[in-house]
Amino acid sequence: MRVSSYLSLPLALASALWSHATSASPDYSEHLLLQPLPQSSLLASFNFRGNTSQQSYDNQHFQYFPRALGQILQHASTKELHLRFTTGRWDAENWGSRPWNGSKEGGTGVELWAWIEAADDEEAFAKWITLTQSLSGLFCASLNFIDSTRTTRPVVSFEPTGDHKRLENLHLLHGTLPGEVVCTENLTPFLKLLPCKGKAGISTLFDGHKLFDAAWQSMSVDTRPVCPADGDCVVQIEQTVDMVLDIERSKRSRSNPIPRAVPNDQLACDPSKSYNSDDTCYPLEKASGRAWSLQEVFGRTLNGVCPLAASEGESEQPICLRVPDERQVSYSEGVVEHRKADGYTRCYALSPSQPFDLSVQEQDIQQEVPLEEPVLHAERTIVGHGQERGGMRMILANPSKTAHVDFIIFESLPWYLRPYTHTLQAKITDANGTSREIPASELVTGTFYRPAIDRERGTQLELSLSVPAASTVTLTYDFEKAILRYTEYPPDANRGFNVAPAVIRILSAPNAAPIYIRSTSLLLPLPTPDFSMPYNVIILTSTVIALAFGTVFNILVRRVVSVDEARALGARTLKGRILSKVVVLRDRLQKKQTKVE
Amino acid sequence: MTTPAALPPLPFNPGRVRSYVLRLPLFTRLVLLVILVFWLLELQTVWSVVTWGALIPNEINIGTSMFLLGTPFAFEPTVASRNGSGLTLVIVYRLNTYPLIHTGFFHAALNVLALTPLLERFEAEHGTLTSIALFVGPLSTFPGGLYTVIERFLLKSNTQVIGSSVWVFLLLGSEAIRTFKSSPYFSLGPYKIPTWTSPLFACAVLSILVSSASFLGHICAILIGYLFGLGYLKVFVPPEKVLRWIEGKLNLLGRLPHYVSVDQKTFGRYGVLPSVNAAATIRSLRNNPQFLFGRLPNILSFLCIVVGVAWLLLLPLDEYSRQTYISENALLPGQVHAYFTGSEQNIFRGYKKELQGLIQDGREQGPLNPAVVSTPEISNKISSILRDAGLKVATQKYEYKSAGITYQGENVYGIIHAPRGDATEAIVLVAAWKTADDELNLNGVTLALTLARYFKRWSLWSKDIILVFPPDSKTGTQAWIDAYHDLHPASVQPLPLKSGALQGALVIEYPFEHHFRSLHIVYDGVNGQLPNLDLFNTAVAIASGQMGMGANLQEMLQHDNSYQDRLKTMMRSMTKQGLGYATGAHSSFMPYHIDAITLQPKGEGWEDEMALGRTIESLCRSLNNLLEHLHQSFFFYLLMQTNRFVSIGTYLPSAMLIAGNFTIMAIALWMRSGYDSDGKSTLGAGSSETGTSKSDEKAASLKGPEGDQANLNGNTVAERVLALPLTLVSGLHLLGLLPLWTFNTIFHQYFLFATYAFVLVDLLLPLTLAAWLSHGLGVSKPFIPQQYLLVKSFALLILGLCLSTLATLNFSLSFMIGLLSAPLSFVTRVSGSASTRYPVAVLGLVLMNLLSPPAVLLGGSWFTGVSIETILTQAAFGWDVWGMWTQVVVWCVWWPAWLTGCVLLGSSLF
Repeated sequence: MRVSSYLSLPLALASALWSHATSASPDYSEHLLLQPLPQSSLLASFNFRGNTSQQSYDNQHFQYFPRALGQILQHASTKELHLRFTTGRWDAENWGSRPWNGSKEGGTGVELWAWIEAADDEEAFAKWITLTQSLSGLFCASLNFIDSTRTTRPVVSFEPTGDHKRLENLHLLHGTLPGEVVCTENLTPFLKLLPCKGKAGISTLFDGHKLFDAAWQSMSVDTRPVCPADGDCVVQIEQTVDMVLDIERSKRSRSNPIPRAVPNDQLACDPSKSYNSDDTCYPLEKASGRAWSLQEVFGRTLNGVCPLAASEGESEQPICLRVPDERQVSYSEGVVEHRKADGYTRCYALSPSQPFDLSVQEQDIQQEVPLEEPVLHAERTIVGHGQERGGMRMILANPSKTAHVDFIIFESLPWYLRPYTHTLQAKITDANGTSREIPASELVTGTFYRPAIDRERGTQLELSLSVPAASTVTLTYDFEKAILRYTEYPPDANRGFNVAPAVIRILSAPNAAPIYIRSTSLLLPLPTPDFSMPYNVIILTSTVIALAFGTVFNILVRRVVSVDEARALGARTLKGRILSKVVVLRDRLQKKQTKVE
Repeated sequence: MTTPAALPPLPFNPGRVRSYVLRLPLFTRLVLLVILVFWLLELQTVWSVVTWGALIPNEINIGTSMFLLGTPFAFEPTVASRNGSGLTLVIVYRLNTYPLIHTGFFHAALNVLALTPLLERFEAEHGTLTSIALFVGPLSTFPGGLYTVIERFLLKSNTQVIGSSVWVFLLLGSEAIRTFKSSPYFSLGPYKIPTWTSPLFACAVLSILVSSASFLGHICAILIGYLFGLGYLKVFVPPEKVLRWIEGKLNLLGRLPHYVSVDQKTFGRYGVLPSVNAAATIRSLRNNPQFLFGRLPNILSFLCIVVGVAWLLLLPLDEYSRQTYISENALLPGQVHAYFTGSEQNIFRGYKKELQGLIQDGREQGPLNPAVVSTPEISNKISSILRDAGLKVATQKYEYKSAGITYQGENVYGIIHAPRGDATEAIVLVAAWKTADDELNLNGVTLALTLARYFKRWSLWSKDIILVFPPDSKTGTQAWIDAYHDLHPASVQPLPLKSGALQGALVIEYPFEHHFRSLHIVYDGVNGQLPNLDLFNTAVAIASGQMGMGANLQEMLQHDNSYQDRLKTMMRSMTKQGLGYATGAHSSFMPYHIDAITLQPKGEGWEDEMALGRTIESLCRSLNNLLEHLHQSFFFYLLMQTNRFVSIGTYLPSAMLIAGNFTIMAIALWMRSGYDSDGKSTLGAGSSETGTSKSDEKAASLKGPEGDQANLNGNTVAERVLALPLTLVSGLHLLGLLPLWTFNTIFHQYFLFATYAFVLVDLLLPLTLAAWLSHGLGVSKPFIPQQYLLVKSFALLILGLCLSTLATLNFSLSFMIGLLSAPLSFVTRVSGSASTRYPVAVLGLVLMNLLSPPAVLLGGSWFTGVSIETILTQAAFGWDVWGMWTQVVVWCVWWPAWLTGCVLLGSSLF
């Protein structure tokens, strides 16, 4: 099963490279895979991988490993690091399963997890804070906001991918920033980590305007130690950028980016309609076979190859394209095309100095590159309405007709969302559409739950579940929204509070690489006081008026008594009390007298 | 003097204020008068009093005036001569006039308020003559002179000062010194602040609050005040012997009213006591419970109703309504160019022909019915168009049953994923196949489809856009929005596809083929909830400002901005709000706090569907800009024109006054029931006896005060017998559940019969109850008069309570019910001789029955020409599907109160 999936997977190449790279001595390689997806989308998957031997790494001789990152990792005793920047949604319905099986992708915003070597939890957390603060500076992201309330310690959802000698001292810490907006300021430091720094090789295609107009995009940085059975350990850094571009939108020139109506004569109409005429047009949507070229889609051509990249074996063909073999593709001169046996993949060996462009012609073809069906569809939404309570609903659909699917859901919820786990309910819908309520315990085979502490840590919930073949499971639980203190509201516009995406790890086979799916992030509206101007004005003026009034009022109504009386009045003795009564009585009598006058 | 036991003392005694004002001494009065005169003089435009009398440093000839301190000229010659200075210099009059002149009404009023108590006390302490001498002399010229010197020679500037605040601060300063002598420090935690600094604080605070106040001028005044308080200015006080002599010679004490003699001086520390006259008035009022509990509540209640209605009628005036404005800056309405033009129209026509073809196929079987547009073919077609345009598409089937009618259909909806969004927020576009008026909305649906394809091409959306195509405006959106929040009934399918939190919804209607003239915006929600005013304003700004097509509301297509038209618009919106039904597909969104409006093209003109499309594009762009949920502007408002509105603060008193009239009456009745009616307080005594024995004194009329006031003069305290009245009133309110259940449950064909049956019930039930209460019928003891009072009191109390609460939620409903039940405040058990009692009671009952809930329903049906069955079917549908609460208010608040009123009237027949 693994073999077949690799054949059909977009990243067959990368996995082939995997074995190659692990055995290699310090080297560097880069790859780009391009694959048109349905609905005029184009998946571009960039991969950069550098190795340096453990020995030289320890001696601060970093070679292909970026020094800036290496020193941070050494300082924070981080043995394995995974950092993800993601925006947009992967459209599994149209685009099939995720690149890299979702393992190189994070939830919306920024996600970071790392294995840190430390004697105990506290030391690990201190180092984790060091790590997030340093990375925050390095990547221009608000990673420093990952504090104790956003940090979790997943138990079963993640496993180290590197070869670690001493696992017992390693602590896994995980943090997310779902509200973080990923943009060009994160791309520039990302490129600086590369040996060719975006000046040569496939990284020259990175143009912030195009990259951040993508429908979905994920950048990842992974470092891990790799110890092949025969040979010395190496420290490996792998950077990937995966994005899905809308071909039509990317082809629009930057000087005229507005999607104006096309002129009448350029409309693609369905001529088979009886009413088709000059002013009536039923549009004909082209599903596939659109023309595009690197120049059009990325706004620039590829500028030679990175001279540091290894030039033997697979790596000499850094660019691969997955289209049916009959599709016509033209490319720059001096480039050699290699076709793979699967009938869909062709790779290109570039000439070192010449710019490279690739263009795919418009062609009406029936055959399409088969896409792998995702193993599981997951959707998570907030239900209910109101300021006080809400509910979380998760729909998990197993499309497979035969096999059940086992997976782990990892939820890391902010403390102000207080889930009630006793309300966890499950509903199962079979292929016929009949649904029934079943006790959640029938589906949930294991639970790890770490409740939140207000203002200290968030809820961590890991559920291991099993969904039978061809059925859909709906999980719901209720939660309560906490009322924040007024200083705890962020100063920005009150859009609501982001809830981090759920991470789903699918346990397919015992030794196979895990498949990850992430749900979308959620917006949680909390009860919010009106922080607007009138509120401030009312408070301020009331205070000032009270001050002014108090002063004047005090002068006007104060009772004047002589000093000895005052002393007696002030004393809290019996005599004092009696005296004060006498004074009051005397005053009253005097009032009576004035009245008589 | 016996005070009625049940009367609590008033917390605020107006008598004290009155006596205070009446006892103001002479000089204080004079000063106030002069200030008033100067203020009035300033009103004319020919001669500027301010420029004449202000203290302008450069206008003062210092060289001379230094000699003339304390010497007023051309103003108070007597005092001038008293000081023995014969020199005159006209220019220095400003040193005396400036405290008396003010720049405006508020300046004058505030200063007068501050000055009066201080000056009054000063005069009471020092006597009128001394006050005149001091205030006309040194106490105004010293601070003025000091100020002039500092301003002119130290600061080298020329800021004019004016106003009596200089005296206020001067007196505060001298008072502060006196306070300092007796209690030197405030303790504020560990700090000790000398009390003499308090005027300085006040001065600083005032300078912060009122930027135009002269800080320097006030400081000068405080300094002089300190000097005076410390006794350094004692020299200027005329010797007492002289004053006595003047007083004696001129017999001032005899001639001048409110004159404070030198001998009469007190150390005026004591507050003013109410004068004997004011106290007597109140006492006499307290001793006259006949007026207090009998006539006064009636007058007050009636006044409340009249003022409440008049208030509402005032609202359309310019002075009470406000210009609308966009409060949320992020919206930026009409700031973007709309590009929905050109060949998009070809696609619009293409889609339209496609859908038309499918409808034509269905229509051959007969006239248009709901099934035609919710066929599977049409659903599939819409799905395929949306899918081809790149949207995620899903469908939802639903079924509702109400009043024996089954409503079913299938919603088709598609989601445009925001290109780089994360599914956290969404905007909804709704195009129902049938409009709110049950017309076929072919153009609207086609336009939504074309827009979906067009919107998909843009990459700027920050929120998902959801397009919903329900089969009709009543049920479809309700099913969809309920399921979106997972709050749907079992007969509605859940949504397979969702997006984030909904930020706003727009409903598109275009049910005709010709071009239109203007855009009609419908905004009323279920139960009178309204969308944020910003959404409406944005739509108006875009339609009239950007697109130039003009906007209308409440079917007022011709609005000439007159009072009548404004009132008419307001009344229409109040009717819709009060009835609380859904006025379009947008209404269903409102209960979920999602702001929504319907856009309807109206009239014949130049605008085509593309113009409507551009309007919607621009609106979506505005909503797309939102960072926060719409919250800035008003949620409670009455619109009277597209750009004029009244906010809740202005209109609420109207309904509150009407609701308050019941509460006033209820409280009065409760107090009155605490008095023994006439010695015959035994429970068994027949109530009719009371009526006849006192018949001659009573003006027994329907709306008149309760008859037996004479008994109230007896002033004996009676024990209230609460059990039976409480049971009766709560029982009647529970009885309201019966019609509520009936009218929401029975099948629609029986509605007409049920209504007539209820008219009959309303006629007979009160009489039966009245007979039972009056005679006991062996079940209980007959009612005594006190219990009738209590019954009415409780009923009105509940009515007032419910209506005033309701006024904050649904103003119009509260107002309508309040007006319809206004007679309940005044109807009561009529007593008197049989000849007057019977006709009056029968007439009252007839009138009351004309205002009963079923009768009002019949009247409304006759007036609008809509059949009873339709109205009630709609109401039952609203209850079952929309969650409409109007019926609850009618049957559980209004009807029980009405029933109680009729029982009271009916009891006078037995």
